Amino acid sequence: MNLCLRTKCLKSNILGSLYRYSTTTEVVEKNDPVLIDDSDETRAKDAEIEKKRNISRLSPAHFNVVNDRRPYEIPKSLAHLTVKYHRKMYGKYGMESGVNPSLCWPSKKDIEEKLEYEAVAYPFTIKEMMETAAKRRQEEKETILKRDRDIAAKVAKLDQWKKELNDKIAKKAAEVQAAKDRKERIVEEVRRHFGFKLDPRDERFQEMLAKREKELKKQEKQAKKDAKEKLMLAKLQQKSAGIGEAQK
Amino acid sequence: MRLGYETGNNPFYLRVPQEHYYRGHHMKREYPPLSLHSLQKLIDTDRLDVTKAIDIASIVKSGGYLFHPDQKQFGIHLTDEGADIFAAKINIEVQWASELVIAAIERNGGVITTAYYDPHSLFLLKNPKKFFESGQAIPRRMIPPPDAIEYYTSAETRGYLADPEKVSQERLKLAQKYGYQLPEIEKDSIYDMLCTKKDPRQIFFGLEPGWVVNLKDQCILKPKDEELLRFYSM
Repeated sequence: MNLCLRTKCLKSNILGSLYRYSTTTEVVEKNDPVLIDDSDETRAKDAEIEKKRNISRLSPAHFNVVNDRRPYEIPKSLAHLTVKYHRKMYGKYGMESGVNPSLCWPSKKDIEEKLEYEAVAYPFTIKEMMETAAKRRQEEKETILKRDRDIAAKVAKLDQWKKELNDKIAKKAAEVQAAKDRKERIVEEVRRHFGFKLDPRDERFQEMLAKREKELKKQEKQAKKDAKEKLMLAKLQQKSAGIGEAQK
Repeated sequence: MRLGYETGNNPFYLRVPQEHYYRGHHMKREYPPLSLHSLQKLIDTDRLDVTKAIDIASIVKSGGYLFHPDQKQFGIHLTDEGADIFAAKINIEVQWASELVIAAIERNGGVITTAYYDPHSLFLLKNPKKFFESGQAIPRRMIPPPDAIEYYTSAETRGYLADPEKVSQERLKLAQKYGYQLPEIEKDSIYDMLCTKKDPRQIFFGLEPGWVVNLKDQCILKPKDEELLRFYSM
């Protein structure tokens, strides 16, 4: 191997030196126009060379992607016919992709649909929402203020209510006490009537008690009646006196 | 009364457990936090360019912020950790910020805006290259939902829909509240940068809705059709 390489080097060296020392020089004609050969034949040849150069063993689509080209020139599936795919191709590979950029914007139908969606999703404008929020806040504030006022009014009356309640309790207690006293008094009276200690559950005792109670009730009623009459009389007198004075 | 039945026919140990804290969690917006401290770190390590306006796209690109718009995440919540050591003059746009954060940025002569992006625009901002390669026209940014409108229209939170005059008033107010001298950005040499602001319909800085960006040809295509123009300016 080594030997072989060396011979190659030697050969080129020799050739190079031969050129250098050759007496006839190659004449380069500068005035000739440079012709680019683009006939079908050369193209095919170039393509052939390119194909041979591609030793990546990638599929054509992957080879395209790696070389920053769109993978498929012709659609391979239904997805490749969609607007979304075309937009993506334009976004990724630019004008080279051959996609018309006007596809990037929504169509009239899309706009209509979007507007319809927005009308449902955002039913209120900012101003309306602000007004609603302000109103709600105001209402909350007013509720609190109203409650504060109510409490203040109630606190102002608190002393009076306390007094009333205490009076009521005291009155009730006094009434209960009076009733108890009365009962005790009656029982005592009845006991004195019998002159000896008698069991309050005794029939005779109960009879006597009922009788005594009846009497007392009668007395009370009479007293009430008398008081009423007296009052009426006084009123009448006053009235008659009043009329008399008016007549005078 | 049987033990445990004090509350009636529904004893506490047989009730179905309910955690109302999680009510409606599937509809709640999530704003993953980014602290002022880590923002400062991104700036100090030169991962964020302070000579340009900063938005979520540049923060995501810096690699210092993990962001998943598909997980109901709606952008950056700038938190106040490291507010007292924050010392950069920036024009930043985030999605949520507290009063202290706003004060920390404005004290250094910076500008902060809170802006809402719908999930679709967030996908675009997270990976603009992917979107540009899809060959679509840049869409419009959508308006915020009703429960977020108060935040994004109020000047106190520097909402992007707030009245600029009110915002400047609020800047002064906040300076007085926190007790710092508000630097005059009008006389700043980088006033133009500090004033850079996106249109409420705009997603990318410098790119308008309706434009098509082609990275291969390095060109921008703009629509001329009347209907398209009307649609994209709506």
